[in-house]
Amino acid sequence: MRIQRATLLLTIIFIASVVYVILYFKLFIPAPEHEQSITVILKEHNIRSDFWQTVSSGAKAAAKEAGAEIAIAGPLQETDVDGQVELLEEILAQKPQAVVIAPINDDRVTERLQKIQEAKIPLVIIDTPVKLGSAPAFVSNDHTAAGVQAGKVTLEQTGNRPKSVIIGDFAASGVSAEREKGIRQALLPYGQSVYGTYYCSDSEERAYLIAKTMMRDHGDLNAIIALNESAALGAAKAIKDASKIGLIKLIGFDTSAYEIRLLEEGTLNATVVQQPFNIGYLGVQTALDMLDGKKVKPVTYTNSIVVTKENMYSQENQKLLFPFIDK
Amino acid sequence: MLKPNKRTSIIPFPPFKSIQSSIFFTFSCLILVTVMVISLNSYRLSVDAVETNSQSYVQEIIKQVNSNIQSYIDNMENISMLAMTNKDVKYYISNNSFISKSDRMPYEKRISDLFQAILYSRKDISAIMVFGYNGFNVSDRRITLLNPYVKLEEQSWYKEAKRKGGQSVISPPHVQNIIQNEYRWVVSLSRELKSTDGIRGEGIFLVDLNLSIINDICSQINMGKKGYVFIVDKSGNIVYHPQQQLIYSNLRSEQISRAAAAKSGTSFTVDDDKGKRVYSVQDTNFGWKIVGVAYTDDLIANEGMIRNSILMYALIGILFSLLLSLFLSYRISKPLRILQRDMKKVERGNFDVRTNIEPINEIGQLGRSFNLMTAQIKNLMEEIIDNQESKRKSELMLLQSQINPHFLYNTLDSIIWMGEQKKHEEVVLMTSALAKLFRASITKDKELVPIRVEVEHITNYLLIQKMRYDEQLEYEIDVSPDIMHYKTLKILLQPFVENAIYHGIRNKPEPGKITIRGREQNETILFEVADDGMGMTPEQLENIWTMHDKKQGAKSTSGIGIGNVHERIKLFFGQEYGIRIQSEPEEGTVVTIAIPKIKE
Repeated sequence: MRIQRATLLLTIIFIASVVYVILYFKLFIPAPEHEQSITVILKEHNIRSDFWQTVSSGAKAAAKEAGAEIAIAGPLQETDVDGQVELLEEILAQKPQAVVIAPINDDRVTERLQKIQEAKIPLVIIDTPVKLGSAPAFVSNDHTAAGVQAGKVTLEQTGNRPKSVIIGDFAASGVSAEREKGIRQALLPYGQSVYGTYYCSDSEERAYLIAKTMMRDHGDLNAIIALNESAALGAAKAIKDASKIGLIKLIGFDTSAYEIRLLEEGTLNATVVQQPFNIGYLGVQTALDMLDGKKVKPVTYTNSIVVTKENMYSQENQKLLFPFIDK
Repeated sequence: MLKPNKRTSIIPFPPFKSIQSSIFFTFSCLILVTVMVISLNSYRLSVDAVETNSQSYVQEIIKQVNSNIQSYIDNMENISMLAMTNKDVKYYISNNSFISKSDRMPYEKRISDLFQAILYSRKDISAIMVFGYNGFNVSDRRITLLNPYVKLEEQSWYKEAKRKGGQSVISPPHVQNIIQNEYRWVVSLSRELKSTDGIRGEGIFLVDLNLSIINDICSQINMGKKGYVFIVDKSGNIVYHPQQQLIYSNLRSEQISRAAAAKSGTSFTVDDDKGKRVYSVQDTNFGWKIVGVAYTDDLIANEGMIRNSILMYALIGILFSLLLSLFLSYRISKPLRILQRDMKKVERGNFDVRTNIEPINEIGQLGRSFNLMTAQIKNLMEEIIDNQESKRKSELMLLQSQINPHFLYNTLDSIIWMGEQKKHEEVVLMTSALAKLFRASITKDKELVPIRVEVEHITNYLLIQKMRYDEQLEYEIDVSPDIMHYKTLKILLQPFVENAIYHGIRNKPEPGKITIRGREQNETILFEVADDGMGMTPEQLENIWTMHDKKQGAKSTSGIGIGNVHERIKLFFGQEYGIRIQSEPEEGTVVTIAIPKIKE
């Protein structure tokens, strides 16, 4: 009886110490991470597309930081729906651990995404919203907020007396609609500040004509807000032709080599740029969080930056306007 | 008096009641603690060693990066020296209004050719330019078209070089926009060019290094999967960082201020939610700090292996030593347990126990001492018993050999009476019988006498009694002559005869008879003293034995108790011998005495 009790006590001590040792090692050393792998599908995977290349480097940065494997793919053209559908089919066959996708707005793509969701593959949508049965995690630029920023910069440039016109690409474009919404939100307190919104069907030519007509029709017009590049380039040409550089402020979105030149010469007074690196980074990070079983935000927005001639060569903005070093 | 209290004893162990448990417990605790301390320590030490190794490894890499970048900067410096000492350049930018534009043209071409030649040989250089304060510019391009929207004087590399007056200035990475339609990421080295007399500044020299060179150097560094390199300048601005944009948009933090404050060649460790990592800092000659960041879990890939093997050895060690301590404690306590068991036996009175403990250590010596002690005790006990016996024997003999004073008085009275009656013959007879009795009782030399002598003695005694009681007493002695030569105790029968007379016959109105018989039965000699006197009730019979128990204190007319005789026989001959009394009231008493056959 006595010996049994002593033996019991010793056994308990022994087990306790073993547990202690194991716990010590468990507590102080993180369990070896299992290899995570993420597949990213872009709208356009092309060296010429600065925007998508930057998204891709953001995605790579997130993967490297977590020590995860990453595979990036995408069609060569943003219009190549078949290419993206094909990639999605491949994914459905391979079943990777998680998928981050910038979907092309097409029913066939949506259908495949639905299937990916049904296959219980963690899915993160970036850049373009898509309607699915259960909402997947979404990472995108906040276009409405960008619109508000554009509206505010218009106010600054016009000394709070904005008389503006908005030129967009298509009435059906979701991004343009959100930007417009933001602009109107910012300009709303000022009466008669927006003469109207016109659509150039993504044609520089039409934008030129719209701008020209507007300048003629509204003598007090002092701002043109171009929702996309073609609109900005067309409007810039019209302003230059009318020799109204500086008189009619041009506010644009996004960036390109042409827009940079316009910015330098002062025709384009400000442009609101997205941070594609952050979109890619946050997209992959969200997917990694899902793999780790963490709760993720249903929607993550990235900010936009207003770039003017004055600050275009600042440390921060250089990186946004000229994302790539090798050129 | 202070009694040590077991419960509050200072021993910090649970109150184990066996030595084995205590030893085992103590050993186990010691082993567990030692093994744990040692293995944790060796784990820490080996991890530390690996960490130190990896830190110096990272330092080494960063040094490499440093010298790589430095070599490019040095190269730019050399190019600038070349431009500074070039006569053509000096002439071209000299602030001499007598030199016309057309005069300068051949110089421009020569300088441009020189710069082009350098550019061809150096892929890392993207542009070499000279901006004269006189408004003449020359570059490696045949035709230099400057960006019309960029003001030269506002460029920081231009302003800085002018301010430093002849010293070279390294810019942070920037987009070089001075040439029309060219936007390249570069690091610029600029410096003011002096006039021949070395006093006045006459222009700014610029050489641009492709940032992709630094980018490649930094991004191609392999410091584990997650490790990376970043560069900060003196004032803590980021020169290069793989995630610069995330830092600008506050999505990521970096230890910039700490890195900027760190001395060259040092390392520091940061452990936050991103994981434990080592920052190694190296200063360049031109004010940049190159910082290598390595994740410990990346570098110490075999940390898990180190831990597992140490854990395994520790467990095996613990298991093995626990078994060993179990065995040891058993071995140590076993002889003690044997000794304890044997001691228990002694406690119960068995002094023949001999404990057998093999080891020749303290416990073995204890066992031998124990054996000696029990043997001694046994001897002493036997001695005491012997002593007691012989003392008792002599006591009893003394008692028995005493002549009852009443008897003596009565006998002497009878002799006097017979003398008065002139019965001379009877007087002689009685006196000689008394004398013989006396002689028998005073000869103390021998305890054992032949039966013959005893019979003589009792005959003398009865003779005296017969003379005293005359008709009242009759006796008969019938002892087999075969046993006459065997030995018996002296004065063995007299007490019984005395009792028979005093208690059996004297109180009887009729004459009584005493019969003494002696015979052998197997190895025993049986004496019988029978009388036909009053006899005894069972109660009286019982009293005889109890009187013996009450010892000699109780005054008996016979002078000596039956019990004493019985005891004396047992003392002499052993437990199987002794007396037996049969008695019937009014019928008489028979006393049977059994003694062994002892030859002369």
